[in-house]
Amino acid sequence: MKMKKKKTVLLVDDEHDFLDITAKRLTRRGYHVLTADNCLRATEELDREPVDVVVLDVMMPECDGVDFLKEIKESHPRIGVVLLTGHASIEAGLRSLESGASDYLLKPVSLEDLIEKIEILYRDLAEGE
Amino acid sequence: MKEGVACYRKTGDGRGMKQNGALSKLKSLIGISDARIDPAAAEEAFRSHYRSFRSLLTANNAALELMAGIEEVLRQGRPFGMSFVRGHSTALSVNVFKMVHSLQELSGGRYASLNDAFSRITAEIDEIIAREPPFPKGDFVLFLDRIGRDDTDLVGDKMSNLGEVSNRVGLNVPPGFVITAAATHRFMRASGLKDEINRLIKTLDIEDLEELYTTSAQIQKLISSAPVPPEIAGAIKEGYRELVKQTGPGVLVSMRSSAVGEDSQSVSFAGQYRTQLNVSEEFILDTYKEIVASKYQSQAIVYRHQRGFRHQDVIMSVGCLAMVDAVCSGVMFSRSPRQWQSPWMEINAAPGLGGPVVAGSARTDFYRVSRDDPNQVLLSETGDREPVLDLEQLRKLARAALRLEDHFGAPQDIEWSIDREGELVILQSRPLAPTAGGSAEPAPAACGETALLSGGLPVQGGAACGDVFVVRTNVDLLEFPKGAVLVVEQPLPEWATLMNRAAAVVSETGHAATHLAIVAREFGVPAVFGMAGAARTLGNGDRVTLDADRGCLYPGRNERVLKRLSQPVNLMANSPVYRLLEEVAERIIPLNLTDPGSPFFAPAHCRTLHDITRFCHEKAVTEMFLFGEKTGFDPKSAKQLSGDMPLRWWVIDLEDGLRPGFDPREKFVFIEDIVSEPMLAIWEGMTAKRWAGPPAVSLKGLGSILFRSTMDPRIDPAVRASMGAKNYFLISKNFCNLSMRLGYHFTLAEAYTGPMLTENYVSFQFRGGAADRSRRFIRVNLLKDILERYGFRVEVILDALTARIERKPKGYLLERLKVLGYLLIHTRQLDMVMGEQDMAWHYRRMIEKDLASIIKESARDN
Repeated sequence: MKMKKKKTVLLVDDEHDFLDITAKRLTRRGYHVLTADNCLRATEELDREPVDVVVLDVMMPECDGVDFLKEIKESHPRIGVVLLTGHASIEAGLRSLESGASDYLLKPVSLEDLIEKIEILYRDLAEGE
Repeated sequence: MKEGVACYRKTGDGRGMKQNGALSKLKSLIGISDARIDPAAAEEAFRSHYRSFRSLLTANNAALELMAGIEEVLRQGRPFGMSFVRGHSTALSVNVFKMVHSLQELSGGRYASLNDAFSRITAEIDEIIAREPPFPKGDFVLFLDRIGRDDTDLVGDKMSNLGEVSNRVGLNVPPGFVITAAATHRFMRASGLKDEINRLIKTLDIEDLEELYTTSAQIQKLISSAPVPPEIAGAIKEGYRELVKQTGPGVLVSMRSSAVGEDSQSVSFAGQYRTQLNVSEEFILDTYKEIVASKYQSQAIVYRHQRGFRHQDVIMSVGCLAMVDAVCSGVMFSRSPRQWQSPWMEINAAPGLGGPVVAGSARTDFYRVSRDDPNQVLLSETGDREPVLDLEQLRKLARAALRLEDHFGAPQDIEWSIDREGELVILQSRPLAPTAGGSAEPAPAACGETALLSGGLPVQGGAACGDVFVVRTNVDLLEFPKGAVLVVEQPLPEWATLMNRAAAVVSETGHAATHLAIVAREFGVPAVFGMAGAARTLGNGDRVTLDADRGCLYPGRNERVLKRLSQPVNLMANSPVYRLLEEVAERIIPLNLTDPGSPFFAPAHCRTLHDITRFCHEKAVTEMFLFGEKTGFDPKSAKQLSGDMPLRWWVIDLEDGLRPGFDPREKFVFIEDIVSEPMLAIWEGMTAKRWAGPPAVSLKGLGSILFRSTMDPRIDPAVRASMGAKNYFLISKNFCNLSMRLGYHFTLAEAYTGPMLTENYVSFQFRGGAADRSRRFIRVNLLKDILERYGFRVEVILDALTARIERKPKGYLLERLKVLGYLLIHTRQLDMVMGEQDMAWHYRRMIEKDLASIIKESARDN
């Protein structure tokens, strides 16, 4: 029997404006949203409560998004991770997917597109269980 | 998780999936066809297949949409920058990678060599995008008297032309030297600013004027504050010392940008960079840096973006020329810029130095002089003051213009001065920028009584309507709304920043020789200068219509004037960025894999990303199609559709396309058992109108069919491939893939109609027919017209048609599927009558009428 529960999304980005606005909008759409402005904080959040989907900025000071993605997939293989970047690069995009990212999206991404990515990811994860 | 079900877990949407229970089980299932099947394991394996399939379709959808986006910008030539090229290439690579990966999951790794094709193609694309222009190599300083065309890579067009004017044409130019692009390259590299500037430029949103100004100022400040390396400072000092030997001590110089990389004939770069007059020795280094930095003036950033230049495509060299003690100066065109065949040339002149003439801030004399010997003065507009030029001077100018035109082989745009000794000195000669859209010479102004303002000088013809926005300062400029009519007092070069936003330009003063006029002509923005009182009398927000051919401004929207609306100009064609995208697109868009039956339909023959998507899609559908058959897993095998219908159909359920409670072991299925929404929509379209039977074929039409049948064995209905033999629906609740072979026609329709827009699409392929080629073409074009009317993006190659819609809500797509269903039934055999014009019209009207009623009726139902 499936319990209807809120989907938990962790946003990791060093841009506070992006973090605040996206968190507010996702919350309004019924998600449980956690935020972190660096990878260390993100790790703490992941340890603190179960997360379904992580939306992760590729480029942050003192933290490489792709390296952190690998860490997440190692410690929490069931979490889906979507990478966001302001600097599109084929090489980085493919490296991200090979490292286990579910998607590699280019900023600016519309809220609707982001929500669809999260929903599709969540559905696929749930069906795989 | 249910007991007994093979453990399967997917990470993400499929990536990172290792060999798992279900997959290995599936492989063994496929190998042993008569073994006893564990239904639960097969069911689970099938479900995981279906998930991979769905991911593949979604990625396919995104990839095809991105490709359409690339084709569109190449076709329209609307400005795009490297961020578009990088963004689209990256997003495409990511989605095609997902498709390759999903197909590997579906097929148990059968197509491993696809990875090689994919890596090869993406590496090629990456290489093209990362390619840098070659570094300029050579001396840091070159003297003008030793410069010619061969030095363009070091000193830019402007200075190499000036060298030619002196050394080859034999006209006077000021003595001087050029700080070369090699020096600037060394300076920029030593400054270590490249990465920082790249970062600022890459993240810049060019549409945000405030951000544009901030970033522009920031970059210019960075460059101006960086030290000039001693070897370059030394070379410049040495150059100045040489100049002093030629001209005398304390000589002041004018410093002019001469950018390297602006090599295109139709690209003017007029007034984009800084020029500084009267520079003394102590300020040469600082001024040099300022001019190098002026590459990032806001109007130059916008201009490069609009014309398809990357910032690294342009590198500054700076000319240092002895100041001319000018009595008068000006600009001349060896032909009229608005009329290339004109038998006259145009000369603008003002007392003193030339800067104010091109900047549009000086009041100038205007002369028209015949090109024939002796050069006659045809027109002289000098206002209420003494003419700046006498007849002898005008003739001297005209003869010089003809010599320059002769040497450079094209009409010229020439800056000149006449010094105290009466000598003519040429400061610049460049090809005259052609007028976009080639408008004719202005008709005499007859604006009529309704005009708000009249009597302006048409600078670039055409017509436009928009709301007035008066710009007097840079602060006003920041507020400028897109699509407004730019109204200014003077046509200053910095207003060129707005050329990608303004619908039209109106200036109280100025003339056709100003830099702003050149840029307006280049961009095809209708412009009228010298329209007295415009900035004073027009208020922000007033809706006006500009007739730029006649120099008249009307209140409100004037449809009569707007009938002559000018076509948008393709500013990007042949620019570095455009060519780069074309080169990238060659690795993305052409489809070489068209026939799944061909031996060349294989990974090794994939030459583009489109080929890979086509291959993945085809093989994925086949994998899903054959799953039941291969595994002997009955519930997923084909079931025959029962009922009263003219054709035989088979249905394969992929997941949840049949009603709950349906016994999956059944060999037959009724339409009432189907819950696949896209299939039901197609079915509704198919059955909404009774098929009138084959159209009456004339003897001629029939002859063409019989002829083709005897010539082409592939279209004999007796020869059938295994998959093409029957008409299939492959379905789930939100998905339907229909493959249909009716007589001589082969049709594929596919759709996903779920709640998520990114997953949704309808695609349609149609080819074949029994009639001769021209009849089939007419039919396929009839289909194209109809499908485009319903919002499909349609491509026709020979007699094959593909049509697609993405990212639309379910309801919208289901309506389109009804259209397809109708067309599938009612356009078969229509090719036979397409030779007769009357019949073609008759059927077109019938189809349009039927479709209108089907769509309307079902819209009422919803």
